[in-house]
Amino acid sequence: MHAAKISKLTLSVFVLPCLILYVVLVFVPISVAAYYSLFQWNGIGEKLFVGLSNYSTMLAHDPVFWPSVWRTIMFAFFSMAEIPIALLIAVLLTRYVRKPNFLVSSYFLPVILSVVVIGQLWKSIYNPASLGGLLNNALDFVGLESWTRTWLADPEVSIFALFFVSLWQYLGYHILIQFTGIQNISQEVYEAAKIDGADGWKADRYITFPLVVPVFKISMVLAVIGSLKVFDMVMVMTAGGPAHATEVISTHMYNKTFAALEYGYGSAISIFLVIECLLATVLLNKLFKSSEDSMQ
Amino acid sequence: MRKIAVWILFSVLFVSQVYPLVWLLLYSFKTNKEIMSGQFLSLPATLQWDNYSSAYTAGHYLQYLTNSLIVVSITLLFTLVLSAMVSYAITRFNWKWGKAVMLLFLIGIMIPIQSTLLPLVVIFKNIGILNTHLSLILPYIAFAIPIAVFILSGFFRTVPREIEESASMDGASVYRIFFNIMLPIIAPPLMTVTILTFIDVWNEYILASTFISKISLKTLPFGIYSFFSQYSTNHGAIGAYLIMGAIPVITIYFMLSEKITKGMVAGAIKG
Repeated sequence: MHAAKISKLTLSVFVLPCLILYVVLVFVPISVAAYYSLFQWNGIGEKLFVGLSNYSTMLAHDPVFWPSVWRTIMFAFFSMAEIPIALLIAVLLTRYVRKPNFLVSSYFLPVILSVVVIGQLWKSIYNPASLGGLLNNALDFVGLESWTRTWLADPEVSIFALFFVSLWQYLGYHILIQFTGIQNISQEVYEAAKIDGADGWKADRYITFPLVVPVFKISMVLAVIGSLKVFDMVMVMTAGGPAHATEVISTHMYNKTFAALEYGYGSAISIFLVIECLLATVLLNKLFKSSEDSMQ
Repeated sequence: MRKIAVWILFSVLFVSQVYPLVWLLLYSFKTNKEIMSGQFLSLPATLQWDNYSSAYTAGHYLQYLTNSLIVVSITLLFTLVLSAMVSYAITRFNWKWGKAVMLLFLIGIMIPIQSTLLPLVVIFKNIGILNTHLSLILPYIAFAIPIAVFILSGFFRTVPREIEESASMDGASVYRIFFNIMLPIIAPPLMTVTILTFIDVWNEYILASTFISKISLKTLPFGIYSFFSQYSTNHGAIGAYLIMGAIPVITIYFMLSEKITKGMVAGAIKG
C-alpha cells in the first residue's frame, strides 16, 4: 500500500522507542548476567575472574541444581497433561451450557489473584489440623487420619502439594483459551456436518478437535513456558524448603544470589534458565511441526 | 443421566475455583479464635468490621493502593502505545528488518523476568533509580511488550488494508491513519492486552520486593506481605487486607472479561 511513502524517520518513530526500551531492559541485563557468570563475586568486594568454573560447578558439583531442574521439568509435564482435560471441559461447556460465559469467567478467577493471596490460601489449606488446616481436618473427618501430614513441611510430598496448586490455578486459564477457540469455529461447519449425519461426539471428533489444534498448541506452549518460569508461587509458599525439597531453578537462582550472595554463581543459573526456556520452545515447535507432517 | 454427571463436574469445578474468594471473605470477618478452629465454611458469629478498619489504618492501604495505581497506569499507557506502534510497523510497513524485529519480540515471551533481577539491581543502583517507581515501571513495560506485540500484530493482519488505502489517498498522513483510524479499530485486542498486563503488573511481587524498600513506594502485593510479617497474629486483619488488595483486580476483570477472550484468540491463531 503506502509502503513506499514511509520515510526512515517515520519508521524510526514507530519502531525505535519500543525496540530500544525492550532491548535495554531485557537483553542488556541478560548480557550483564552472562558477564557476571564468569566471575566469583559477592557484590561488595572485587570480582574474581573464574572463567567457566561457575558453570562446571553448577553442572557437576551442585547437589541442589539437577533436582531443581528435574522439578521444573515435572512442573511442565503436569501442566501439559492438564490441557487435554481443559479441552474436554471446554467441549462439555459448549455442549451442555446455554450461557457458559459466567462459568468460564469463574473458572478463570484463580488466575487473576495475586500469588500472595494464593500462597496464603493454600498454606492454610495445607496447615496441620491443630492450626485449622482444611485438608488434614477433612482427612480426619472421613477417617483417613493416617494420610494426614504437614503437607508443606514434609520433603516427600511438599513438591506435589505445589504442583497441585499450580494445576489448580491455571486450569481455568486453559479452559478459557480452548473454550474461545471452540467458539471461533464457524457454526456453518457444524450445520453442514449435521446434514451429513455427524452430530454430538462425532462432530467433535471430526470437527472440533481438528479445528481447535492451533489453540491447543498455544495452550501447550504457554503451559510449558509458564512452568519453566515458575518462581513466585514457590517463593511465597516454601521458598524452596524444606531442605531444598521444593527448589526449582528460579528459586535456586534467587537463593544463591540474594541469600548466599554468590552473585556470579547465581548469574550462571540465570543464564541456564534463559537457555532452557528458549530450547524448550524450539523443541516444542519442532515437535508440532513433525506431528503435523506425520498427519498429512 | 449424562447431563447430571456433567453438571456435577461443572459444580465441583465451580466450587473449587471460586471457593478461595468465599473462604477469604469469611476469613476476613472472623475472630482469631474462629479462624484457628479450622471450620472453613462456618459463618463468623458477628462480622468483625474491626478487621477492615485495623487493616486500613495500620497497613498504609491507601498509600500502597495509590502506588499500585500509579505503577499500573503508567506501565499500561506506555505498553499499549509503544507496542501498537511497533506492531503496526511490523505488519504494515515494508522494511527489511520487520521479520527479525518480530522474532526478537517473540523471544521475549520466553524469557523469565527473574533472570534480569540481579543485573537490574546493579544497573539501577548505578544510575540512581533503585528504590523508585521507575525501577519497577521500566522492566514491567519491557516484559509486557512481547505478548502485546504478539497479540496486536496478529490482529493487525486481520484488518483489511482498504481502509488505510482510501484514507491515504485522501491525503492523511501515516500518523493520522494510525492514531485516528487504526487505534479505534484495534480496541478489542488492546483491551485484551490491558487486562493481561493489568493482572500481571498488579500482582507482581518479586521485583517489587527486591527493588523497593521505602514504605512510601511499596505496591500492594509487597505491602500485603509486609503487613503479614508485622501483624502475623491478627489473622482476620490479614484476610481483610487480602480482600482489599484483590478488589481492584477482580472489578477490572469482571468489567472487561467479555472482551478479553476475543482479542486473545485473534492474536493466538493468526500469530
